[in-house]
Amino acid sequence: MSPALLSVEGLRVGFRSADGGMVEAVRGVDFCVAPGEAVGIVGESGSGKSLSMLAVMRLLGAPARATGGRVIFEGEDLLAADEKRMRALRGRDIAMVFQDPQSSLNPALTIGRQITDVVRAHRGVSSAEARRIAAESLERVGIRDAGRRLASYPHEFSGGMRQRALIAMAIACRPRLLIADEPTTALDVTVQAQIVDLIAELRCELGLAVVFISHNLQLVAEIVDRVVVMYGGKVVEDGPVEAIERAPRHPYTGLLKACVPSLSGPVGPLTAIEGAPPRLGRLPAGCPFSPRCPDAIETCASQMPALLAEAGHRTACWRPR
Amino acid sequence: MSDLRKALRGLDWSGWLGAGIVGLIVLAAILAPLIAPYDPLALNIEDRLAAPGAEHWLGTDQAGRDVLSRILFGARASLSVGIGAVLIGAAIGVSAGIFAAYRGGLGEQIVMRIVDGVASIPLLVWAIAIVGILGVGPLPVGPLLLPNEVKIILLVGCLFSPVFARVTYAVARRIAGADYIRARFLQGASHWQIVIGDVLPNCLSPIIVQGTLLVAIGIVIEASISFVGLGVQPPQPSWGTMLSDARSAIYSGEWWLPVFPGLAISLTVIGFNLLGDAVREVFDPRSEARTLVA
Amino acid sequence: MLRLVAGRIVSSIGTLLFVGLALFALTRSGPGSPARIVLGADATAEQIAQFEQAHGLDRPFLSQYAAWLGDVLRGDFGKSFVTGRDVATEIVSALPVTLSIVLFAFLIALVFGLGIGVLAALKPGGAFDRVSRFASVLGLSIPAFWLGIVLIRFLAVDLRLLPPGGYFPLSAGLSLHLQSILMPSLSLAVYYIAVLARMTQASLQETLRGDYVRTARAMGLSAPQVVFYALVNALPPVVNLAALSFGYMFGWALIIEQVFNIPGLSRALLNAISQRDFLLLQGIVFLFTAIFVFANLGADLINRMLDPRQRAAA
Repeated sequence: MSPALLSVEGLRVGFRSADGGMVEAVRGVDFCVAPGEAVGIVGESGSGKSLSMLAVMRLLGAPARATGGRVIFEGEDLLAADEKRMRALRGRDIAMVFQDPQSSLNPALTIGRQITDVVRAHRGVSSAEARRIAAESLERVGIRDAGRRLASYPHEFSGGMRQRALIAMAIACRPRLLIADEPTTALDVTVQAQIVDLIAELRCELGLAVVFISHNLQLVAEIVDRVVVMYGGKVVEDGPVEAIERAPRHPYTGLLKACVPSLSGPVGPLTAIEGAPPRLGRLPAGCPFSPRCPDAIETCASQMPALLAEAGHRTACWRPR
Repeated sequence: MSDLRKALRGLDWSGWLGAGIVGLIVLAAILAPLIAPYDPLALNIEDRLAAPGAEHWLGTDQAGRDVLSRILFGARASLSVGIGAVLIGAAIGVSAGIFAAYRGGLGEQIVMRIVDGVASIPLLVWAIAIVGILGVGPLPVGPLLLPNEVKIILLVGCLFSPVFARVTYAVARRIAGADYIRARFLQGASHWQIVIGDVLPNCLSPIIVQGTLLVAIGIVIEASISFVGLGVQPPQPSWGTMLSDARSAIYSGEWWLPVFPGLAISLTVIGFNLLGDAVREVFDPRSEARTLVA
Repeated sequence: MLRLVAGRIVSSIGTLLFVGLALFALTRSGPGSPARIVLGADATAEQIAQFEQAHGLDRPFLSQYAAWLGDVLRGDFGKSFVTGRDVATEIVSALPVTLSIVLFAFLIALVFGLGIGVLAALKPGGAFDRVSRFASVLGLSIPAFWLGIVLIRFLAVDLRLLPPGGYFPLSAGLSLHLQSILMPSLSLAVYYIAVLARMTQASLQETLRGDYVRTARAMGLSAPQVVFYALVNALPPVVNLAALSFGYMFGWALIIEQVFNIPGLSRALLNAISQRDFLLLQGIVFLFTAIFVFANLGADLINRMLDPRQRAAA
């Protein structure tokens, strides 16, 4: 087995809360991404999925801090790297696209300017060459007439086109890892499918590894090889996508699957997960899902189950299915 | 008046400091005849140019007049112009804004154009010019002989009115189209009742914020106009005229003559600015973007 | 876009004409007609009527205004009844003086206001941030003309570093010129440094929180580039405020000139008032008003030009 491209080990992220204490939002997360592999990270809002990846990129905003663990990228611990090294990596070796394409592009500068700035930040090319690379990136993400489009402003693009432009910016320097944080959540359903397909295509063409963060298991399952399910700041299940789809082991994953009604099959009552998302700082000592879990027993609330692996499929549960 | 309660609860230490300063100065102005140690107009040539000491806490000026007393009485001129101009400006501006928003049509266009016209007038230049044209003598109004300050209050008040008109117009327009106003109409409320009961209370917070900040500006305007001799006329004390008289003292070393009136102006303005900023924080923290400048 | 700009310019000119009319009415309605001033208190009614006819003062009001406007557009502000001197010449000799003070003050306010605001926004909560907040409260509250007096006392009288007043034009040498305008311009600028610093800091702090700044960082742009990305969006309201401030500065410059004994437009204006020379007064006030109106127009247009969305929509 080739060495992992990205290996997250025991990552912890905390916030300084209003009263001065530290609230942990990511509580010891482990997972790996192999070169060229597509991994989906699925969970509710507040599960810590976005924060984990922001921590990987060292882009956490002031109140949040990585408080423990290691993030090994191509043999280097990113949490120990200095800002200069991170700036070299960001956009060139690891790239991230975010949720809202509307606000993620600078409204006052042309698309071309924003992409060429990224290219020239990482490669010492002339501005003409940078424009050529930018146009090529735009073509690659399916924006036609790319040469002219370089002079457009973000407000002249539709939502889907903006997200494509952001992806173009991300891949312009041929990164080895693309992190997409809910890239389709703010888009129309039809456009969502296009963007997901685009990411799958780029992954094939460029040999990219992809981390696709979403709250939608169904969406993610279409293009990833593996799914990591997070809840309450911890990884609760991590396995091949077929296994997760066919036979999820953790009760939470099973419920997530059941929540999405299928288009085929009989119409029945909708499934919902009882209870409310966990409040950070008020988590049980044991499994974070225990308050809402239909299979929970006493041990679940008091003792944290370890991630146990079985044929490449890990689950953290006292009573896996 | 829940807005008032909200304001009082939301003020931070700088707001209370500002309120304290303002309160103190207003009190000093009102009580001046009672607390001033000397008559501000009393000439006393033997004691002229006395440095601050036990007898005259802030010293005396070239004519032997007690500086402290003149400062206390000078507060009256500054505050009456500042507050008076804001009250008049608010009265005119709010009426105009509500009228325009409510009327719509041609009335709205005409009123807002006039507002734009007045807003295009450079305040200080015109204030100086108009007082210059009308003269600095007292204004005969019926049986009364109003001092020059009244002219300034009216003038500056008119020139302040566009600020209030625009703010009120914006709020009133937003509200006038609101569904709950239509509901009130259907309930039988008259126009007047709606204006007083619904429109005005919503305009109150921006009016208070702008008004407080404009008082500060009005005070500096009064001092500036008096400094060039077109404001409060001697021998009446005004901080501006005191500074004008103190100009020769810059060279001869009587430091208390320019320092204390200037401190008085600065302190008063700081008070109103702190208060105005704090009140704005409470009601509309994001409006930092629409800074008032003069 | 061009149509919008043209429309705003026409609108501003219209406002100026209307306001000019009000000004005209005011100067004409002031106590004491020009005839009486020139001919003296014991002039006969006949002499007055003759005088007025000779100078076109008996014509209908609006036509007098139109005539005056027409002359103004040709650069002729008339000849003063009181001094006999050409008003335009008087204004033109005094204007550069006032202009040099205002321009220098504007430059100081821009450089320091923006500089302090940017630095304070880049380190929120830091020492610089807190000091600058405190300083701007002071700057907003200390009257410019008092600051001028204090500066004269310290820098001119006590330390003898600068001349206590008077004005040296550029022709007298750059160093002398700058020495004579430094204190007046500085006094004038302090308030606007505070205003611009506050606005810049608030605006930049806000834009630095934007998602596109996060994108810029995520793509590995350098720190100065990230700040630039934020600044491009933060500056429009600041520039707008600066344009307005330029207009306001002219008014306060009048007072500052008096403090420092500078022979600019304030002296001309106050002389006009004391001599009841209303033609000169009219000319000066009209000029100030025009400057103010066009400063406001500039602010409005800059706002529209700097936002690509508005540029396209117009």
